[in-house]
Parts: sequence; structure tokens; C-alpha cells
Amino acid sequence: MNLTNTIRSRRWFMKDCGVGLGAIAAAQMMAEESTAAHLATDPLAARAPHFPGKIKNVIFLFMAGAPSHLELFDYKPQLAKFDGTLPPAELLKGYRAAFINPNSKLLGPKFQFSRHGKCGAQISEILPHTAQVADDLTIVKSMTTDAFNHAPAQIMMNTGSQLFGKPSLGAWTLYGLGSESKDLPGFVVFSSGKKGPSGGNSNWGSGYLPTVYSGVQLRNVGDPVLYLSNPNGVDGRAQRDALDAITALNQQHLAATGDPEIATRISSYEMAYRMQASAPELMDLGAESQQTLDAYGADPDKPSFAKNCLLARRLVERGVRFVQLFHEAWDQHGDLVNGLKNNCKDTDQACAALIQDLKQRGMLDETLVIWGGEFGRTPMVQGGGGDGRDHHPNAFTMWMAGGGMKPGVTLGESDDFGFNVTADKVHVRDLHATILHQMGFDHTRLSYKFQGLDQRLTGVEPARVVTELIA
Amino acid sequence: MNIRLLPVLLGLLTVLLELSLCPTALADQVDFANDVRPILADTCYQCHGPDEESRAAGLRLDRPDEALAVIEPGDAAASELITRLLASDADLVMPPPDSGKSLRPEQIQTLKRWIDQGAEFQSHWAFLAPERPAIPVVETDAAIKNPIDAFVQAKLQATAITPSAPASAETLIRRLSLDLTGLPPEPALIDQWAPRLRGDGDAESANAAYAQLVNHLLSSEHFGERWARLWLDAARYADSDGYEKDKPREAWFYRDWVIRSFNQDRPYDDFIIRQIAGDLLPDATQDDRVATGFLRNSMVNEEGGADPEQFRMEAMFDRMDAVGKSILGLTIQCAQCHTHKYDPIQHEEYYGLFAYLNNTHDAIIPVYTDAQQAQADQVTADVSKLEQQIKTQIPDWHAQLIAWADQAAQRSLPQWQTPPLEFLDRTLGGSKFLEQPDGSYLCQGYAPTNFRPQATGTFDGDRLTGVRLELLTHPNLPRNGPGRSIDGTWALSEISGQVVLSGAPDKVIPMKFGRAVADRSPQVAELKPRYDNKKDNKRTTGGIDFAIDGDDATAWTNEIDTPQANQDQTAWFELAQPIEIPDQQTATVEIHLAQRHGGWNSDDNQTFNIGRFRVSLTADPIPEFAPLPIAVAALLKKPSADWSADDTAVVFSHWRTTRPELEPINQQIDSAWASYPRGTTQLTLASRNRPRTTSLLHRGEFLSPGVEVRPHVPDFLHDMQPSDAPSRLQFARWLVDRDSPTTARSIVNRIWQAYFGTGLVETSDDLGTQSSPPSHPELLDYLAVELMENGWRLKHLHRLIVGSATYQQSSDLTPELAQRDPQNRLLARAARFRVPAETVRDITLAASGLLDREVGGRSVYPPAPEFLFQPPVSYGPKVWDVARDSQRYRRALYTFRFRSVPYPMLENFDAVPGNLSCVRRSLSNTPMQALTSLNEPMFLECSIALAAKTLGETPDADDAQRIDFAFRRCTGRLPTDSERTVLVDYLDRQRQRIAAGELDPEQIISPAALLDVRDCPPDQLAAWGLLCRVIVNLDETITRE
Repeated sequence: MNLTNTIRSRRWFMKDCGVGLGAIAAAQMMAEESTAAHLATDPLAARAPHFPGKIKNVIFLFMAGAPSHLELFDYKPQLAKFDGTLPPAELLKGYRAAFINPNSKLLGPKFQFSRHGKCGAQISEILPHTAQVADDLTIVKSMTTDAFNHAPAQIMMNTGSQLFGKPSLGAWTLYGLGSESKDLPGFVVFSSGKKGPSGGNSNWGSGYLPTVYSGVQLRNVGDPVLYLSNPNGVDGRAQRDALDAITALNQQHLAATGDPEIATRISSYEMAYRMQASAPELMDLGAESQQTLDAYGADPDKPSFAKNCLLARRLVERGVRFVQLFHEAWDQHGDLVNGLKNNCKDTDQACAALIQDLKQRGMLDETLVIWGGEFGRTPMVQGGGGDGRDHHPNAFTMWMAGGGMKPGVTLGESDDFGFNVTADKVHVRDLHATILHQMGFDHTRLSYKFQGLDQRLTGVEPARVVTELIA
Repeated sequence: MNIRLLPVLLGLLTVLLELSLCPTALADQVDFANDVRPILADTCYQCHGPDEESRAAGLRLDRPDEALAVIEPGDAAASELITRLLASDADLVMPPPDSGKSLRPEQIQTLKRWIDQGAEFQSHWAFLAPERPAIPVVETDAAIKNPIDAFVQAKLQATAITPSAPASAETLIRRLSLDLTGLPPEPALIDQWAPRLRGDGDAESANAAYAQLVNHLLSSEHFGERWARLWLDAARYADSDGYEKDKPREAWFYRDWVIRSFNQDRPYDDFIIRQIAGDLLPDATQDDRVATGFLRNSMVNEEGGADPEQFRMEAMFDRMDAVGKSILGLTIQCAQCHTHKYDPIQHEEYYGLFAYLNNTHDAIIPVYTDAQQAQADQVTADVSKLEQQIKTQIPDWHAQLIAWADQAAQRSLPQWQTPPLEFLDRTLGGSKFLEQPDGSYLCQGYAPTNFRPQATGTFDGDRLTGVRLELLTHPNLPRNGPGRSIDGTWALSEISGQVVLSGAPDKVIPMKFGRAVADRSPQVAELKPRYDNKKDNKRTTGGIDFAIDGDDATAWTNEIDTPQANQDQTAWFELAQPIEIPDQQTATVEIHLAQRHGGWNSDDNQTFNIGRFRVSLTADPIPEFAPLPIAVAALLKKPSADWSADDTAVVFSHWRTTRPELEPINQQIDSAWASYPRGTTQLTLASRNRPRTTSLLHRGEFLSPGVEVRPHVPDFLHDMQPSDAPSRLQFARWLVDRDSPTTARSIVNRIWQAYFGTGLVETSDDLGTQSSPPSHPELLDYLAVELMENGWRLKHLHRLIVGSATYQQSSDLTPELAQRDPQNRLLARAARFRVPAETVRDITLAASGLLDREVGGRSVYPPAPEFLFQPPVSYGPKVWDVARDSQRYRRALYTFRFRSVPYPMLENFDAVPGNLSCVRRSLSNTPMQALTSLNEPMFLECSIALAAKTLGETPDADDAQRIDFAFRRCTGRLPTDSERTVLVDYLDRQRQRIAAGELDPEQIISPAALLDVRDCPPDQLAAWGLLCRVIVNLDETITRE
């Protein structure tokens, strides 16, 4: 960390953590001892939030491409009834669609729904495993967003703004809470599905926050972290030997120049070295029981969303603060029926297994699991075959589990066609405010000075903590 | 600053560093701009500032007259402002508890004292044009090499901190080399200059040598590369579109123009004017147009659902942001949605600025290198010579041409109706067909590579005999179109259609075309590799018959690989049987334009679609002759007596093709055109003939336009001098007016930031009222005025800064400085910081001897993991064809920059992806960086190359000497004895392990597979390769000391 950022994080302590001048002075004194220096000034050091938070970790299962709420969670018998007819004109006033002429015929839901769990949540037949954990879910049927193209909407969901260059939710989380893991990155990203996410790696970028807060993309085959393995022909001892030589020379130069930045570099190299051991250990599913593997439906040798879910649990176990899984597969402009079936086959079981696994291990209380995409799908048909839906920002469904949310609750309603939200609207900003609240942050106060303004995840538009969701 | 308070202040400094930056807070006289306004702006202006919408109680505290309502100048106790700040009643206290804002007691004290002193409002310092300050006279033993030192010493004296000793000659040479060229010095350069810089105790000759070295480096062509990188961050330069598709684009001519501009020391005002409005300058050159690439560096969203107008507006906002940050040094983005809470730019004024930039096309023009331009000129000359030959051969050519024209003009032509068209959404694949005033349609947004759009229009006539299809150019299309391929070309696989009469709505009458004629029909040709659809069906292109042969695998095209491809074209299609339309009935005509000749990957530049077209219908007979080129046909409509020489030349170029006896010479002309260079393309601005209306956008929403806004500049900045120039050019000149309060300060501050790690104003992206106060306000103004009064020459500024004793100090951090000024805001030492990402790579390449020092050119593809460019990491598959020749070793500035998949090594060292303007990068120090420099293949390749170079160039040396050689190449100095000992021990251990068979040398040197290292025995090379890897990984190697 350079000095500017060091100072900045110190300011943050003072301003947002209520750490008084005495503590700062103490940190200042500690800084004179070089080993203590980076502990005192480490931008990733674990920190206390504004008030005691309920969660320590987040796992965001990002269903990129935007799943159809109408086929999965938001059952609309009226839509079935009016299948093949044109939508009411007043519904379409001022409505813009991405691909279709908005005045296209309504398309009834393609799957059956039934009620599940004690809570009686209505869940689609293609989500049988999710249905089994219905009582652990907090379903929000009244999500709404501002964007209806993939890249801007994904950026909106992940950074609170359609404009590129803002910090992601994960980056804010690290900035706010620091990292509990000393040998793995604090914010980890996996990608599965047909494509990469439309928003690219701005989805997990640090924006104007220091780059140490950006997500690190891991792979679930080969080297999990880029450049993790020793070079060809360099064995463990040779790597340690090289590191010792580098450290010895860096220490001599630290003594000569007095620049604490060198101390930070020494510890960065040490953490890199530890990561070389811990990342492969993380990826090695050999210690997982067959029962666990079966529960997730994960094949250790194959990249899959299921494997990523299991890795997400392992990451959280190892203190990784924020894990985000991107599964880009849900853009069903056509092939709605088969596409959804296949996507559910790829994801349903693992999502449910993750919740159950976290619960069994007593981790669900402190881990918030979030499921959802960047927007919903139109009740109107796309394509001549009656088997597709266009992008729709006005209403869609997400669910959360654990993390101090009210289990077995469904919040919000959309109208008869799943077109507009009719009750308990939850904007993306409200969701963000709520997630930050669960971490122990007042979203109006978790801010970073940039371009002369106290910038924050929820921006300048109104946002509220959705207390109805919170246990 | 008051000296009596010094001891108190020093005591406080140890706990609250920031106080050293605003010592006036404790001084007698309160300064409005530095002390008061920041408090008001931060805590009051949200409700009592310039923003009318959020203003509460009708009270403004940013205007002196209106603030008098709550301020009693000279009497804080009687001022309601203070009463309310101190109120204990939650209903009365300000700021209201629910605002989340509060004032610290010392802030309230400041406000009190300010009111007691008369409550004088002054403008924010950065909104008053800089004036040349008096240079302080300081009595000091410290070196004063130029006025910079006087300003710095004056402040240091006041805090009783001693400046650091000068850095060693070696350190200075490396520092200068890295700062001015971004490259480490070759050891020979150090050998040459170090003794001269020491000057044998003769200060004068040492100073002269230093100045010479500076001049030497300033005249290096690598100077432009180094400083271009900083500007390119601000200009958000990238080689791809961004967003989901993130397709490659060509913008490197702009990048090279920036490099050349810095090398030529183009005055900064001129540098800005050309980037904003180069195309509008009289006699604009290719370079002037290329410069406008600055504004065109915005991202482009062509994902399927994107509305082109929405993302044009996003790009406009991005351009505004870039102008604000990179030129004005101001945050203006907020005023897009509402009046700025703090800075005085009004919502309406934002759109006033916006209006200057709103009147452009997003052009993609062909551009040529000097060599290509020479070849192009040669072709033009050859053609003109051949045409002259015709004129010699046919002495009365002019009379014949007129006769031909008169006769051609007599021919009767069909009367065409151009119906408005409706397009069936599901046949468009998400692309958008925008109606133009002339009845044509411009295709924008997503470009499918295989589709068949369906258009429906109504025809009003007694019979339908044929269809006219015009393919039309447009400035928004690549190379002006008329196609959407990167060459502006298109391929029409098939045109077909059907008719339904209003009297018989259920009866579909197919349109069968019996004959087609076009003004141009190229030869049959194979498809280019870029259009490969990875299927077995063989597809070809050729003449007009291919459009109606019932075969989607053949297409009519305009792709002829000469500039003539990029012209309007016309085809007439005759129905085999006219369709009779009974009286009182109309015909609904459905036209399908199958375009199936694009490539397999629609997320790449593989489209081959029509870019703009117009469909017309007729009841008249279709002539036997082919249509004339549109330009010629238009000229025939006016009397030949009115033709200009250029007009005649246009007609001539067509007329000669009508003469069979000229066939041989026409063929020669065609083959001359065929050797016209293709050049490359560049995104530029082009002016619109039809001005757009700019409206105030409510909440910044493009769908909520309010009142019309005319171009005008904000009140709080300098006035614009009236002129007749086009408005965008006026705006460009206004930005760099001598009276601009922020332009010169902004660039000067950022250049300072590059040398000292932090700007004189820390918030280099924002000099507005929320900015941090300048550490040395007079110095900032001095430098700004120096720049402007020396012809805006940046090299003058560079010379001044690096010529100062302040710059030449040691960067060592003494315990005293660490305690008293850890941020180095007082500049009692030089800065020590890890070099930017690109320089990390360049140092490694240079040290290893692999660096290819070629300047400019197409972006390159150094090694990177292939999977990054494939799903599911990348949205779509991307081409990353790893260079295996010397392009692999180009400076990192030239690495191809995909916005959605940044080059991992550069990203890990904090390079920015160019999604938005950035004038201040993060500077992190992370384990990912350590993994990268320890294990990334290029770092390894460089380590082994450095080993080979060391062994090759020191044939008779011992280990210690060789270590010195390699160490010096990386750090610019020799190792100390104890450093050398560490390295010798390390080397010995590796050798032993290799000798013992524990380490496999072949494996170790495998990353150097492309290098010619046959002269080095593998076991030696492996051991030294491991050693060099250690040196390459030292903090010092990637640090500018």
C-alpha cells in the first residue's frame, strides 16, 4: 500500500470507524517498528463496521443473462389465461423493449408451479432442489432495475450504477470490512456457463477504490490463480530459496532507504508464497466426502457451476469475505423451455446444496447467499416459435438465504402479467443498502472521497434498507 | 503563517498530519477559499447551495448577498448561522441530524472567526485565473536551483524541516531516464553521464552536464511514449469497444499522434484544440482528424438490445466527463442529472457545454501512414496521367462527353416511390434500422452476421414492375460505408419479396425478379477469411445477378478493395411479371434482404451487412441500360454548362467506361486503383450538416428532454470571446484560453504528480471546491503561468521541474521525515514509488536486452493465457494471436488493450482499462503482483534472456562481476558487498542443486524457447536464469528511487 492510500485508510478509520485520535497516534507510533507497520496500515486488515453486523461473508450467485422470473418464481395464472393475446395498451405506455416490438402477444408460463415448505412458497417444477429449501429462502418478487441491456444492467446490479468505473459490491465489502484471509484474496470470482458475463471484469472491479479491493478471478481447472504455479523446473525449495534471497535483499534496501513500502512488498511476497500452497489446497476436493460431492452434483475433475458452489463454501470457510459466481446462460430470447430446463439442471441442485451445507456447518447465519440476475424477462413473447422472452427491467425475482434474513418469507408482488411491481418495490439500490446493513454498514456513511464527493455504493438517489426482509 | 504558533503546531503535527497542510486554520486571518468554503460546501451546500431543486428555506450560502440573511458580518454571535450550528434543539440545529452531516467544533470556530473578521466571500482559488506570484526570497543554505526551490524552501523553513541531500549521480540518471522516457538507463548511459554529473566538485560544470542530460532525454523519441501513457489514461484509450461485445477497434493512429505530439513539444493549447475540433480547422489534415479520436475513445455498446441513441448519449456523457477531468480538472459529471451540489456548475450549464459537442457523427475514417499516403498519391497521379492520356487520344473528348451526357439525360427513367418501411422485429436480430429524412434506413447497434431483415411498405400505383435498391454512404459507417464491414462493404445474398393486395388480404403474390442491373458488378470472388462461417457451404461474392439467383450462397457485393467501394450504389430489379393492382387498391410490399455472408462470430468484426439503404418501387418499365452512378446521375440533372471542373471529372470517370475502344486504358486505370493502399481506420469526429437540438435532460435521462439549450459556457468560468468559427472549435479554443482558471493548473498539477507521486493538489481529478487545498498554491500558479507564457510548451515545464533542487533530492525516508511529513507534502525529499504497470514491463524487457524500441504502430499481442480470451472468461471468443517475433518485446504501451479482458500483468500492476477517464491511478502493492513477477512467462523469459546476455557479454568475468553486470542492468547501480554476498550464495546453492540433478536445467530454461541461447550451456544458463529472476523481482528494480 502506498502512503497516500495508507493515509486514506487511516482517515477512513477516523471518520467512519470512530477510532479516536489516540488510536491514530498509537498506530503512528507502531509504524516505527517495521513489522507492525503494515499491520497498522494494511488496507485489507479486518475492520469493524459502523455497528455490529450480522454477516461476515457473502456468496453472490449471479445468474447472468437474466433468468425468467415468470418460469421460475413468479407464478402468473392470468398470464396463462391471456396467452396469445396482446397486452393491455396502458401497460406499454412509454415502455421500451430491447429486441421485440413491445406490442407482442403475451406468453403464458411454460412450467407448472406448486407450493413448497411450511412457508408455501410457489416455486417452479424445474427447481425441485431449490423447492426443498424453500423455508430457508427469502424471496423478493418485486425487484426492479434501471437498465435493460446486459452489460449496463449487470454493472448496475454489481456496482449500483450503469456507468462503468464504479466499485463493485464486493470491493465495497472489502473496503468496509477488510479481509479475514491472510493467504487467499478477500474477494473471489468464478465464472461458468456458456459465456463470460456481459459486463466483463468491471463487474468485480474496484472502480475508484484502491485496486487492492477488486475481485480476483479464480479458475476451477488448472492454476486457480493466474501465475500461481512455480515456473517449470522450479521446485518448492527453489522457490523458497528465491524468496529468501529476494527478501534478504529487500530488507537490506529497506534499511538503506527507510521506505515502509518495501516492508509491504516483503509481506506481499510472503503472502504470495502462502497463496501458492493455500490455493491448490482450496481447489483440492479430495477432502470432501463423496456424500458432499453428490449433494452438490460436483465432479471434481470438471469445471461446473456446482463445483464453484462447493468452492464458494470452502472459500468462506477460509475467511474469504466475498465470493461471486457468475453463471452466464440465462438469456432465453429463444429456446426458453429447453434453455431453462438445462440451466436449472446445471444450477438448481448446487444452489440448494450450498444452503444446506452452510446450514449444517453452522455457517449460514453469518453468510448471506444471494441468487439472481440483472433483470427479468418480458411476459410478451419473442420470436415466432412462442418460445422466447425479451429483457425486462420492471419486475423480477431474486432470493437470499441466511445472513440474518427472514427465512421462509416472500416479499413483494408483481401484477397479473409479472410486468410491473405492485407492492413492496425493491430497487437494486435498496438491495445494496440492505446487504450493507447486514454487514453492519449505514449505506449513507460507507463512503469514499473521490472527485470531491463522498461517493457511495447507493449513489445519490434514495435507497432504503428493506427491513421487512431482515430477521 | 504565524511563526509564534510554530511550537504549538509542531506538537500537533505528530498526531494530525493534515494540519500541516492547512496551517491557516490556526492562524489569525481566516481564508474564505481555503478554510471556510470547504466547510460550507461539505456541510451546507447540499441544501443551501447552487442547486435550486434541493434548496431549503430559499437560503443560499454560496452567494454573499443572499447569505447575509443569516450572517451579520463582523459579529458571529449575532449571526443566525452560528446560532443554528450551535443549537441543541434537534428541530433547529444545522445541519439537520438526518442529513448525516455535522461540523467539528474547530470548524464552527473557523466560521465564527471568519464572520467576526467581516465574512468576506472570495471565489474558490481555482476559479480565478492564475497570476504570476512573486518568487519568495529565502535565506537558506539549501540549494536553490530555480524558483521551484524558492517556493518549496520558503515553506520548509517555516516548518524548520531541512531538505534532503541531493541524490547520487547514478540514482539521478535512472530517475531522469525513467521519468522522462519510461525506460531504465543502459549502463553505458550511466557510465557516460555519472562522472559528468559529479563534475569533479565543479558545481557549474555538473549543472551544465545535468542540463545536457535532461535535453538528451527530452529529445529521445521515447519521451513521447512515456508521457503519452499518462495522457492516454486521461483519454481513456483502448483498442476495443467495451461493453458486452467489446470488439476490436482501430485507434492506434490516435495513440501515435499523442506520442508524436509530445515528442514534437506541440504546445498544450494546440494539443487540446486539435483533439476537440481538429476536423474543423481550416485545411484540416489527416492528423487533425485523427486527433479528434480523443472524444471518440468512448465505449460503444452494440449488444443486441441496445438503443443506439441511448448509448450515443452515454458516450456523450463520457466525453463530457473526459473533458472535465482531463482538460478542465473539474468534476462536472454530477451536473448531468442535477445542479452540482458543491461546484457552481448548473444543470443547465452542463448541457450548455454538452451542446458544443453534440453535433457530430461518430466516423471511422481510413487513415494512411506516410508511406501509404505516398503510394496513394502515386495511384492518384497514375490515374490522372492515364485519364490525361485519354484526353490526348480523343482531342474532342469534352464535346463527346457533353454529347453523351445530353443523350443520357434524355433517356426516360422510371418514376420511383419510396415508401416508409416497417421492419419485423424478429428478423432484425436486435439490430436497429433508423429512418433517415431521405427515406433511407441506417443500420446501427448490433450487427448480426447472418440474417434476413424483412421490410414492409405500401405501394400506390396501378401496377408494380420493379424495385430499386440504393446502398448509401453515411459518416457513421466504417470508411463511410455503405456497408457495415470494417471496410465499409456489404454483401446482399438475396433480395426477395411478396405482395398482398388490399382487395385480397389472404392471397400472397410472390415477387419473382427476372432481371437486375446495377451501376457496378464486381468479379466473382472467394470470401475473405474474416467472413469464415465455419460451415461447409462454399460462399462467393460477385455481380448483381447473384442477388436474384435464388442462392443464398452467392451474393452481390461492393467489396472491391479500392476506395471506390465506399461510394453510393444503385440496382434495379425487374419483376418477371408485373403485378397488376386493381383500381382503389393498394399493394403491401414485403421485401427481404438476406445477408448471409458474414463470419461465425458476431461478437467480432465479422459482419458483412448493408449499412444504409433505400428501397423504392415503380410502375414504370425498368430500362435495359444499367443505372448511372448516383453522383453522375445527379450531375446529369443540371446543365453541363454549370458543371465545375470537379463535376466534369466525375462525369468523365464514368463516361470513359462507356467507350469500348478505351477498354485497355480503363483496365489500366482499374489496376492502378487496385494498388491503392488499404491503410487502416481511425475513430474520429465528423460534423453533422443537420444540427441536433440539445435539450436539458431531466435527471440526465435521454428520454426526458426539457427545454432546448444553446451552446454556452458556465458563469463561474472565464468568458468565451465571440468569433465566427464553428461552435465546437470556439469551445476548443475557450478550453485553453489564457484566462481559463483551471486548464493550465490541471495539467501542471498532473505532471507534478507524475514526478512526485502526489500533485500539488492531491485531488488531481478535481480542482473544484471539494478539492484538497494545494500544498504550495503559489508554486502551482507559478508553474501554470510559466507554461502559458512559454507558448504552452510542456518540455519547458519538464525542464523546470527536473532542473529544481527539489526534484534532485534523495528520496530516502529518514525517521524524522517519516514522522513529521510521511506524505511528503512539504517536499523535503524526492518521491520514491513503484513505477507504473507499463514501466514495470519495460524495465524487465530493457534489462534483459529483449526490448524492441520501435515507436508507434499497430497494437501487439505479447504472451497471455489463451483461456482469458475465450468463454466463460470472455463474453465472446476473442483473437489473441501471440507474437513470436520481436513484436513480443515491444513496450507495454503497445500491448493490445481489450477493455473487458485487460492484459493480466498490466492489470495486476494497476493499469486502467480505459472505461473512463483516469488522471490518477491507484498504486497497490499486492501478492498478485508478486506472483506475476515471480511466475509470469514473460518475466521468466526476460530473466533467462538477461542471464544469457550476462554470460555472453562477460566472457572472462567471475561470478561477482557477472552479478554486478546483471544487477546494474536492473537497478542502475552496483550491489553492495553484502547484497553481492546474498546473490553469490544463492547462485551457488542453485548450481549445486543443478549439479546434483535436483533441478532440471532444461526445464528451467524452457520459458526461453524462442530465444537463441545455443551459446550458453543449459546448466549455466539455468543457474544464472534463476539468479536474474531474483534480481528482476527486487523492489528496487521496479521502483523509481
